[in-house]
Amino acid sequence: MTRAHALVVVLSLAVAACTFARGPAGEMAIVAPVRITQPVRSDARLAVLFVGHATLLVQIDDKLILTDPLLVQTAGQLSRRHSPVGIDPENIPLLDAVVISHMHFDHLSMGSLELIEKKTPRLFVPKGGLVYVPNFAFDTRELATWKSWEKDGLKITSVPVSHVGWRYGIDIEWMNSFSGWVIEYHGLTVYFSGDTAYDGDAFRKTAERFPSIDVALLPISPIHPREFMKRTHVDPKEALDAFADLRAKVMIPMHFDTLVNGFDSPGEARTMLADEARRRGIADKVQILGIGEQRVLVAR
Amino acid sequence: MLRLRSSAVIAASLGLAATFATSSARAANEDEAVTEPDVRPTLLWLATQLVPSPEIAYGDSMSRFGARWQITPVLYSWGINRKLSPWRFLVAEPLTRQSGSIELFFSPEYLFYGSRFTDGLVWRTGVRSYFPIVERGDYLSVSAGASHFTLGDRNGAALEAGAYVLYGTVGAQVTWSPSIAPMRWIATFRVRVF
Repeated sequence: MTRAHALVVVLSLAVAACTFARGPAGEMAIVAPVRITQPVRSDARLAVLFVGHATLLVQIDDKLILTDPLLVQTAGQLSRRHSPVGIDPENIPLLDAVVISHMHFDHLSMGSLELIEKKTPRLFVPKGGLVYVPNFAFDTRELATWKSWEKDGLKITSVPVSHVGWRYGIDIEWMNSFSGWVIEYHGLTVYFSGDTAYDGDAFRKTAERFPSIDVALLPISPIHPREFMKRTHVDPKEALDAFADLRAKVMIPMHFDTLVNGFDSPGEARTMLADEARRRGIADKVQILGIGEQRVLVAR
Repeated sequence: MLRLRSSAVIAASLGLAATFATSSARAANEDEAVTEPDVRPTLLWLATQLVPSPEIAYGDSMSRFGARWQITPVLYSWGINRKLSPWRFLVAEPLTRQSGSIELFFSPEYLFYGSRFTDGLVWRTGVRSYFPIVERGDYLSVSAGASHFTLGDRNGAALEAGAYVLYGTVGAQVTWSPSIAPMRWIATFRVRVF
């Protein structure tokens, strides 16, 4: 196989892994029975609402941060979500920041950004990511690894993960823009990895700098085909390894049961995670949310 | 006359682009990191540029198949993040183009026309603007443009319009050139990756 052939195969599989739909399987996703209309909790210091895929609404006291917003029905035009958006975009409150982990269509969705354009003053992308965020009303800033932005006590830091940063495939030779994020406010710390392969060194270095992570938001899918996926995506077991490396208090999984992920069966990643967490004796620390479900992690 | 008109359209469009360029504010604060993408021609990019866009020309009561390739010597994007350079040379990312831009393009074309191979060669130069419609142009964008072309020893001018989906990868273009009968109407299935 020539290098060009190999590249085409790799790119095709990668796109399939992150975006392409394989068919409806909505019944396999756990979906909250009622979509929350008032997501700001007066009883919470730290709360997380799982909107679906890598989209989570994080509340830390009076600050609200949204991760990788995917609020529309398709990613990359071809991939339909097979579970509903976990919150009506109209009910998303005014935000303090949005963070984008990388440039893939299921993590950087123009239609979703249009829906929250007037709700956030700023959006953060990894270094080099500005080029794929056209002009919006909000301010877009890039942060290199370990660089931070801070305002009114809210601090957002880019942290290392292991993934790929291209959007279209052809740009693979110059786009290498991806990042995890650590969000700190009032002594509470939230870790959001975006997509990542297992990179113990990166996770442990993050734990050294942020020794008191209250919640780690970690992906658990796609799992299959493992030999290919492990270069860019953790599976549930590796996600638990990352959780251990990060020494976080609680893990909330993401990136499952929303779009088709690789060759995984719907529900497979969630089930594998629950089984493995039980086997390791940490089931109480792994909180699996249904789509649209909100969990208060630190109460007032 | 048409030749003059097309030249005027191209000149006016480039003037418009220059105006945009000079008025464009690069708004990043001095202490803010801004990384220009290292966009450049690569072998993979070059390979995608060789993919032709099939087309059908209609005129003289006859239809003729053909193919079109596209080169963009220069593009100015007004959709790109205002902190970055709006200029691209040869290589333009789909979002940079489809989110709103104006480009100078050069299109070699071939129509199955005439008795000799060279009879069907078309050399087209023009200006085209893209406008985002859905998802900043990622899902749907449209274009309008004007061009000057040669077919054998004949010169003509054309107007065109197009619509594109899938980040501009595929789309349809209609080109109207009233003065050159064999290619009065051309419908092109535009295929373009970068």
